[in-house]
Amino acid sequence: MNSAGENGDWQAAWKPVVDAVGRDFSDGTTVFGADPVERGAIRRFLEPLELDCALHTDPAVARAHGFADVTMPYTGLITWTIPPMWEPGQTLFDSAERDAQPVHSPINNQDMPLGPRTTGFFATGIEFDFLRPVVAGERVGRSGRRLVDCVPKETSVGRGAFLTWESDIVTEADGEVVARIRTSTYAYEPTPKGAVR
Amino acid sequence: MTAGRAAGQRRFEDVREGEELPSVAYPLPVYRLVMAAGSNRDFNSIHHNTDYARATGAPEMYANTSLLLGMWERIVRDWIGPAGTIRGIRGFRMRAFNVVGDTTWVHARVVSVTTEDGPGTVDIEVRCENSAGVTVGPGTVRATLPLRADSAYGTD
Repeated sequence: MNSAGENGDWQAAWKPVVDAVGRDFSDGTTVFGADPVERGAIRRFLEPLELDCALHTDPAVARAHGFADVTMPYTGLITWTIPPMWEPGQTLFDSAERDAQPVHSPINNQDMPLGPRTTGFFATGIEFDFLRPVVAGERVGRSGRRLVDCVPKETSVGRGAFLTWESDIVTEADGEVVARIRTSTYAYEPTPKGAVR
Repeated sequence: MTAGRAAGQRRFEDVREGEELPSVAYPLPVYRLVMAAGSNRDFNSIHHNTDYARATGAPEMYANTSLLLGMWERIVRDWIGPAGTIRGIRGFRMRAFNVVGDTTWVHARVVSVTTEDGPGTVDIEVRCENSAGVTVGPGTVRATLPLRADSAYGTD
């Protein structure tokens, strides 16, 4: 199915997705991040942000504030719930072309079983409820993947749909919900260069 | 050292509605975007490859979501200090690309203070801007601040 048809029925192609609003697309398993939260990874996360808070770098300060170890920045939840890019036995790159993409990536829009296949994809919005900070040593993952909204729309970059998903962020140790996240994305087929619509 | 550390621990009683938080500037050279991709694991080529980004309709490579979220956390964390907590983010809507070669500024101000949802809750409106205008938000970060020991609100 192609979302970039030349007639007006491109929106109709999204109807199965619109009709699926409310459905949980997860298979019931929690998708965990590649690694537990680690002090070194937190430190590297802080660098491009120049985020200077001792809760994230000094275990003594973190303990003085009631935490078992340094805390992950709240907004690191996306990073620490991303599955690995590569696992033993897999091939990640099979082309030497300059802009070649990895064979697979955990950040994609290819695992949606309904609606048009699209090549463009970016996040448009995020909402969080943080129930408690995550500390070094914990591993977290996403539980549930409920579609809560789908709005087909043509934008300056192409034709596609705005999708909103909802998940709980849970710990590996006991499944405690530490946060809730709603992620909005725009999945689209880019408008060809020079095309007039 | 950030403003948050330098100023000492802020208390709820110190806060007034309408108060502006110190703004933060993020110049966005390719270097920062690459560091961000490596550290926050969003390796999508739209965030570090001009040709690829342009093929998807964007004017240039642009900052990824976790980098932008982290900017919001930093401006709030600088201000609330280590004894503050962040409870939620609303309205983090990316309206325009935060492209390489520009500077993204983060601005914030206190829009409400309350003790109704537990002592010391502060709603902070946050937005990102670059040379083209507002790029993210405005949205709201809900944070908490500790109370003074002799607070009229009681202590936490």
